[in-house]
Amino acid sequence: MIEFDHVTRTYATKTAVADLSLAIPRGELFALLGPNGAGKTTTIRMLVGLLRPSRGAVRVCGYDVVKDPRHAHLHIGYVPDEPCLYDKLTGREFLWFIADMFGMPRHLAGQRIDREIEHFELGDFADDLAESYSLGMKQRLVFAASLLHDPDVLVLDEPMVGLDPRSVRIVKDLLQQRTREGMTVFMSTHTLAMAEEMADRIGIMVRSQLRFLGTVTELREQMALESTSLEQLYLRLTSPLAGRETAP
Amino acid sequence: MSGRSPSAAVRVLSIEEEARRFLRLRATVAWETLGSMFAFARLRLSLVVLLSGLFWASLYGLFLEAFTFLAALHADVVSLLFNAFFSSLMVMLVFSTGILLYGGMYCSTEARLLLTLPVRAETIFGHKFQEALWFSSWGFVLLGSPMLVAYGVEREAAWPYFVLLLPFMIAFVVIPAAVGSMACMLMVAWLPRLRVHAVSLAAAAGAAVTAWIGWSMFAPARIDTMSAAWFEQTFARLAITEQKLFPSWWLSSGLIEAADVGRGPGGTWAPLLEALKFLALLVANGMLLHLMAGWIARLAYRRGYSQLFSEAPPRRQRPIGWFDQALVNAGSAAGRPLRLLLVKDLRLFRRDISQWSQFLIFFGLLGLYFLNLRSFVYNNVYASMIGFLNLAVVGLILSTFTTRFVYPMISLEGRRFWILGLLPVHRDQIVWSKFLFSFVGGVIPCSALVLLSDWMLGLRTPLLLVHEFCCVILCLGLSGIAVGLGARMPELRESSPAKISSGFGGTLCLVISSLFIMLVVIIAALPTHLFLLTHALGPTAAASQGLLTWAAGAGGMAVSLGLVALLGLAATAMPLSMGLRAFRQLEP
Repeated sequence: MIEFDHVTRTYATKTAVADLSLAIPRGELFALLGPNGAGKTTTIRMLVGLLRPSRGAVRVCGYDVVKDPRHAHLHIGYVPDEPCLYDKLTGREFLWFIADMFGMPRHLAGQRIDREIEHFELGDFADDLAESYSLGMKQRLVFAASLLHDPDVLVLDEPMVGLDPRSVRIVKDLLQQRTREGMTVFMSTHTLAMAEEMADRIGIMVRSQLRFLGTVTELREQMALESTSLEQLYLRLTSPLAGRETAP
Repeated sequence: MSGRSPSAAVRVLSIEEEARRFLRLRATVAWETLGSMFAFARLRLSLVVLLSGLFWASLYGLFLEAFTFLAALHADVVSLLFNAFFSSLMVMLVFSTGILLYGGMYCSTEARLLLTLPVRAETIFGHKFQEALWFSSWGFVLLGSPMLVAYGVEREAAWPYFVLLLPFMIAFVVIPAAVGSMACMLMVAWLPRLRVHAVSLAAAAGAAVTAWIGWSMFAPARIDTMSAAWFEQTFARLAITEQKLFPSWWLSSGLIEAADVGRGPGGTWAPLLEALKFLALLVANGMLLHLMAGWIARLAYRRGYSQLFSEAPPRRQRPIGWFDQALVNAGSAAGRPLRLLLVKDLRLFRRDISQWSQFLIFFGLLGLYFLNLRSFVYNNVYASMIGFLNLAVVGLILSTFTTRFVYPMISLEGRRFWILGLLPVHRDQIVWSKFLFSFVGGVIPCSALVLLSDWMLGLRTPLLLVHEFCCVILCLGLSGIAVGLGARMPELRESSPAKISSGFGGTLCLVISSLFIMLVVIIAALPTHLFLLTHALGPTAAASQGLLTWAAGAGGMAVSLGLVALLGLAATAMPLSMGLRAFRQLEP
């Protein structure tokens, strides 16, 4: 479903992502972890076509996001770290706009909009202008918009920021249900507990490189620390000393 | 195409379908915006409509007088003026559309959303192009329409002229807008490193050319202003704008032809055909350039967007400047918190390019105009009048800055209020620091400009001192109004200074500031003007007797300056005390 093929991205003289190769199959929930500035957001932006790799290719459902962005985008739902809405549109109007842009037939779009409004409990404010929404309300609306077209791949950049505990639960349940149905989720997060609870596999990026790829169990085995929490493993792997220890 | 097929529920849209959806989006947003304005901002809307109407009517009257005056002078004058006006406008539209499109296509969060949808790059460009075109050319319509209507009325043009005005204006603005947008996209995609340098160079070259044209037009010959020789020399120099390959020439020629429809023997309609040919030329070129811009968008937009973020923001260590340090250490320890706040605002100003660049451009242009004043030869009455008008212009420009940048300052502290709230600083000091910042920042360039204007006009020292006094009063009052109202009506949840200044409080601030400037200048100018008039009319004139003599003398001047001082005091103290009171009780 998602394929990073030797992807490198540089910012002037700085390398943000170095030779990333990664394949995520259908129905997997993948969590990308790493400290600030490790290259997670750059990776996500390349995946959704906002940034182009300096080298290598990113493919979604077989479509190269640089060469064929429109067909790739038909398969992607994206929840950015900062929700972007039109202040002068109501939540429902925004959902209609997104459905229209994906070319959804009117009757189906109407059904899906009602479905997502119900899922994310948007009913009370769906007909208010977005300028009056709190951060959490905006985030729920963006989630609803990203799932309208039942994407094959859902890309989430820090998805839980601003959500209240009930909304977090709703999102978690939904992600588990959708991945069971075959949707692939690519999620960047700092919430280690969530990654541990939900992710099929995790990737840990440190200073632009994918330092670990596998399950939490595999990470424990690799680091020979059987009963340690993901937090402790993560801190050990991402500590500044770790890089020096592993450097040749 | 080797990828997996999407579900039957979704599909890529045709370009027409995409355009229709964007049109629907724009219509919905416009409708909601208008609805909100009618519901919550009626006063602001009424003020905007009223002031725009007044502005339009004043310009119309002014242009009608000017065209009546020019009609008697020379037949080619209008063509020259139209060409000069439209060609300079064309250059400005290239820059303004390019800059607006850069903001809309590369820096907005909307662009980030749209680029992740299955939409063509050229459709997103078309959507943002319409927006940039609207924002860059509404000023042209507001400024150009009274001029063109006045020309039609003076020429007693037939109805086709008035019908063709809007199509001509729209067809014209598309051309420079498309050129500006192409330049913007190409520069972002292929000259990312050179972008800042290229824009700076272009701006510097543009300023140099403008200065050269202005200088060459006025400087060499000190011929009596408004004399026939002066007109002839000026028009000879303006002939550079009469290039037949310029769209500005097509526009002015088409309009002049349209105004001739039905004139001449038998009321010939042949000029209409000529006018329509020029319109067709404008439309065809506009469409071609728009198509080319769309083609460039397809090739360059996504690439440029990605390229733009390839540049790591420069990380420079910024040492504490000696000036900031000296300012912090100067004076008593009790005043140190206030000075620290002042230095903080000064640093933010210096590092915000949008603030100081606008400041520099507007005051720089004004300085350029003042430098050219010496090319004219005036009598005393004109020189005095122009001096006071220049004072009013300086005040009006300062008022736009105080409204746009000073008024939102207190509101912008909203998100940082927890920092200020926890500091051992009295809230009054925060307000006073903004006032001092605004006053000192305003009074230095403004008094220098007024000095330059008076020097170029050759005014005598007493009048110069009167102008400087009024300038200081204006700076005090405008700062008091902006800071006081900003503290009285803060919008602590808003982070955009543009939105804060365009709200009700910002509009009120601009209106009160304009009224204050007008009152100060009229009260100060009256005795001087009467004095010069009574001298011009001679001692036997009836106007030089009684009350008018007193008003035109030292007594009148003293009273007028006293009134100006009182007005300045009221404009400074009243809003400030209101603002201080409200800010002390503010609960963020």
